[in-house]
Amino acid sequence: MSAFAAVGGSFVREHLRTRLTLALLVAIPVFFVLIFASVLGEFAKALGGTMSGNGATSAISAGWAAAFLCGALAFFQVSSSRGADRRLAAAGLGAARVASARIAAAVALGIVVSAVAFVTLWARSGIAHPWHAAAAILAFALIYVGVGALVGALIAAPLEGSLLVVLVFAVDAFSGPSMTSSGGILAHGPTRDATNLLIAAGTGEPSPGGDWLAVGAAVLLALAVAFGAFWLAARSRS
Amino acid sequence: MSGTRVTAAMRMGVREQCRRPLLLILLVVFPAYVVSRSIAETEATPHLIGLPGGATVMTSMKELHGAVMAGTAIAFAAGLCGVFVMQSALAGDRRLVLAGYRPGETVLARLAVLAADTALVVAVSLAVTAAYFTPAAWAPFIAAAVLLGVTYGALGALLGALLDKLAATYLMLFLVMTDLGIVQNPMFGDGEPAGWAVLLPGYGPTRLMVDGAYSDAFHAGGELVLGLAWTVALGAAVYAVLVRALGAHGS
Repeated sequence: MSAFAAVGGSFVREHLRTRLTLALLVAIPVFFVLIFASVLGEFAKALGGTMSGNGATSAISAGWAAAFLCGALAFFQVSSSRGADRRLAAAGLGAARVASARIAAAVALGIVVSAVAFVTLWARSGIAHPWHAAAAILAFALIYVGVGALVGALIAAPLEGSLLVVLVFAVDAFSGPSMTSSGGILAHGPTRDATNLLIAAGTGEPSPGGDWLAVGAAVLLALAVAFGAFWLAARSRS
Repeated sequence: MSGTRVTAAMRMGVREQCRRPLLLILLVVFPAYVVSRSIAETEATPHLIGLPGGATVMTSMKELHGAVMAGTAIAFAAGLCGVFVMQSALAGDRRLVLAGYRPGETVLARLAVLAADTALVVAVSLAVTAAYFTPAAWAPFIAAAVLLGVTYGALGALLGALLDKLAATYLMLFLVMTDLGIVQNPMFGDGEPAGWAVLLPGYGPTRLMVDGAYSDAFHAGGELVLGLAWTVALGAAVYAVLVRALGAHGS
């Protein structure tokens, strides 16, 4: 257990060693919520979406910030750590424990990013249902840990992988039910139900139990996918 | 001799890119998807915007999205290419310097690879835009798209040379979203960027793009000069930083 904690802690420090990365993990959610919220309502209206009002746009910008940061983070965690993780696993920690430590580090950083986004959102515009909003923002972060890790498992090259993460983010963010009226298969992106929860939390609407179940399932699936991706990256090729 | 070596390094760099079919696919699919979907999804609600030179024009959000979305897609893709082309330059080109190449020669070769990637993204973005929207004047519109690609490609290269890849990626994407997605975007507010927007690299090319999109006559001379100045300054900074980095390790 102590080895697991030490490795997990070192994985977190690996990303925070660069001061600028730490600063960006804090600053970007703040800027997203403060700057993007002011135009998201206009943008959603232009796309024929239903999202309007300060509460909804501020809330959704917090979710997107958490998703975007955690997706890129998880991708680079998988793509750039293969060699080191294999050596750690071969040295006795085992692929499953390396993967668990990676997941723990990604979740810890996701919590930090989500907390910054949540506090900024609360300070900027207030939140009608704060606990619902906190859970939904964290769901955005964890779902994108799965997306980023999956891309990292499939693609090692940083340029291709980061472009794909951005493409998935763009499709998901701008095809959601709040941003467009066109529907279709693209409207069923990974954060669709988390978006509904977050908008409801921001506007003070009740959230149906089905949305909570769907978000819980999406988060569990994302973490399972992330675990699989980290395990694949750490397992021995022999 | 030097020209031959630069050409050889360029050829190797382009060959390396061609061996990465997924990269080529993404450089086509990413701008094509973003531009076409954005335009197709946008409602034709009326919106008043200001052009360079002081004129105003009533357009629709759909047309306006067609006019500006190509720039955002180009900047995203070119910026990320810049980050990672230069990261791999720092990793691989030190060996070339040790083998006798001058740092400037390897940097020129890498910049040529970045230019090729940017040209592909610009061509795809403009071709897709042309399917939905016809600018009033193509020349300034194309010039603006090229300027955005070169400026953000150089900015990405600079960040890639100075920062680690995660920080560079975050900063690159955040800069594009903020500068082109919000601050310069005439879809928001009163249809003109705020006064302080002139300080950001996207100001000149975006205003040039809007001018080309809606005006037959050219009114964006100052904006063109400003965009060129950013390009030259960033290009020189990238060259200097990389030559220094490669030279320091090669000596």
